[in-house]
Amino acid sequence: MTEAALPAPVTAPAADREQLVAIGFVLPSFVIIAGVFALPLVLLLGVSIVDANGLTFTHYKRLLGMPYYLGVIWNSLRLGLLTTLIAFLISYPAAFALARARGPLRSVLLATLFLPLAASVIVKAFAWTILLRSDGIVNETLIALGIIEDPIRMIFTETALIVGAVNIFLPFMILPIYAIVAQLDPRYAEAAATLGASPVGTFFRVILPLTLPGIIAGVALVFSLSVSAYVVPTLLIGEKYPTLATTIAKAYLLAREPGFGAAAGVVLLGIAIAVVTLSARLSREPK
Amino acid sequence: MSEAAQHLVVRGVSKRYGPTTVLDHIDLTIRRGELVTLLGPSGCGKTTLLRAIAGLAQPDTGKVELAGRDITNVPPHKRNVGVVFQSYALFPHLTVAGNVAFGLKVRGAPKGEIDAAVERALALVKLGHLAGRRISALSGGQQQRVALARAIAVEPDVLLFDEALSALDRKLREEMQVELRRLLQDVKATAIFVTHDQDEALTMSDRAAVMNKGRIEQLAEPRELYLRPASLFALNFVGLSTRISGTVLAANDGKVDVETKLGRMSALGNFQAGSPVIVAARPEQLRLGEQGEANSAAGRVRSVVFQGSRTLVEVDAGAGESLLAELSGRDGTIPRVHDEIRLSWPVAETFAFPMDAQA
Repeated sequence: MTEAALPAPVTAPAADREQLVAIGFVLPSFVIIAGVFALPLVLLLGVSIVDANGLTFTHYKRLLGMPYYLGVIWNSLRLGLLTTLIAFLISYPAAFALARARGPLRSVLLATLFLPLAASVIVKAFAWTILLRSDGIVNETLIALGIIEDPIRMIFTETALIVGAVNIFLPFMILPIYAIVAQLDPRYAEAAATLGASPVGTFFRVILPLTLPGIIAGVALVFSLSVSAYVVPTLLIGEKYPTLATTIAKAYLLAREPGFGAAAGVVLLGIAIAVVTLSARLSREPK
Repeated sequence: MSEAAQHLVVRGVSKRYGPTTVLDHIDLTIRRGELVTLLGPSGCGKTTLLRAIAGLAQPDTGKVELAGRDITNVPPHKRNVGVVFQSYALFPHLTVAGNVAFGLKVRGAPKGEIDAAVERALALVKLGHLAGRRISALSGGQQQRVALARAIAVEPDVLLFDEALSALDRKLREEMQVELRRLLQDVKATAIFVTHDQDEALTMSDRAAVMNKGRIEQLAEPRELYLRPASLFALNFVGLSTRISGTVLAANDGKVDVETKLGRMSALGNFQAGSPVIVAARPEQLRLGEQGEANSAAGRVRSVVFQGSRTLVEVDAGAGESLLAELSGRDGTIPRVHDEIRLSWPVAETFAFPMDAQA
């Protein structure tokens, strides 16, 4: 040490120590996410663009150049968009009803939302096949009531697919909206009314903007779940409605084309990320 | 009465929630430009009455007229009232200017007119420089002013304040009381304040209504409310007092002689002989020593509280009764704790109230 050396600080500044503690808390979850999520994603991306001969984009060219696969991408998007839209239209009023409900009714309604989450997706999708097949409960009931004479084809139609998907993913739309609606101070609507806003005006100028964060969370959740759904389309519509998820499964399990499967996975992830990012941007209030 | 004298008329308004009567045939007439306070403890119905005027609570019976129009069945958005809520209820997704512009926007006013009105309203509450701020970036006092500007911007027929100052700290609240009163008088607004704070009622209003159990016990100017309380409840709710229980011995011509445990006293009031009553006087009426033709009682000083220009002296008069006197420093010697003193007060400032009335 030289004479010019300054005395060492007696204690580390408090802010630094706080930061260290914070990093200590974050580290375990960071390691887990990096290890089981980020790393495989990087590998997935690698597999999709590297083969024995080096860098290649053949898988992406196939996916994005062939009409069949564009149809597959469209199927996934269509499933995601329709499910999200219909789930939103059902969930928004339902979230308000839930928030208004009091006492035992509220508990029962919340239980009907949470309990299905405990059942496997496969069980719920099978339940729909039992309901909707030609000799299923819905057809049998309609015939017994004399409303129809011959069974209606319901299973393996897009309608069955969307009905099933909406039903299965509905809680993921209702709950985030409900969480916001339940916190909404009724004074906002009253203030808007006393300022001259009609009920419709109050809805569009106050209620909708204030519940937007819940809507966006629900949309992001339901879209990313339904766009990538595998069990639901497999069981409720099957071969004739190939989606990115079923294509990925086929590429890995049947065709043994991990590079192509990985590319489809990356495209699916890209779509989901794009929608979630867009939602997040929308939720940041304009102006 | 002329039309201006009957700007807001509440006639026989009642409201029940289940078995509870919240408003019990309320009658209230407010003149244009008048500042009126509804004063009372929580649960007395003052907020429900305000909400009935705003259209946010539908009365079971009765009528509400505003500016010559029967608005009993008119929805709130067509009433042209302004409400400042206790929580302010400012829209968090709009800026300060956006909040103030809201009422004019939903009325479809042209943009130029809206901008001018917003600027005017914000200047009035001295917040022009914060027009572009987010609501969450404002202090409580600033939010209070924005809520006021938002309500004023639409030029409502009546402004309604629901405990609007109670969220502010004491010093700021007292400043706002004075400032708000001056501002409302400047714009010639008709306003109703709901509060449980008697100081606010006395400071802000031309008249104050003391409410209890869904009824207006007394509607009077603050001075009269204090000097001539109409009921034991009004006496207790506004200001301090000495209260002694007794029985009426004789009554004549608006005056009664009352037998109390502290001796015979005279008071203003109309009662039959034998009625149980409370005899009461305001503390500043009590003086040290005897006075001719006055009520008086003696006792031992229990506490002496110095309050700047005045000193509150509480006296244990025995028999479970106590006296409260407010003495000014100029009254000469202020007694000390444990001193034996005699206090007296004029008969003309002594009131008798029926005992059975709830305090």
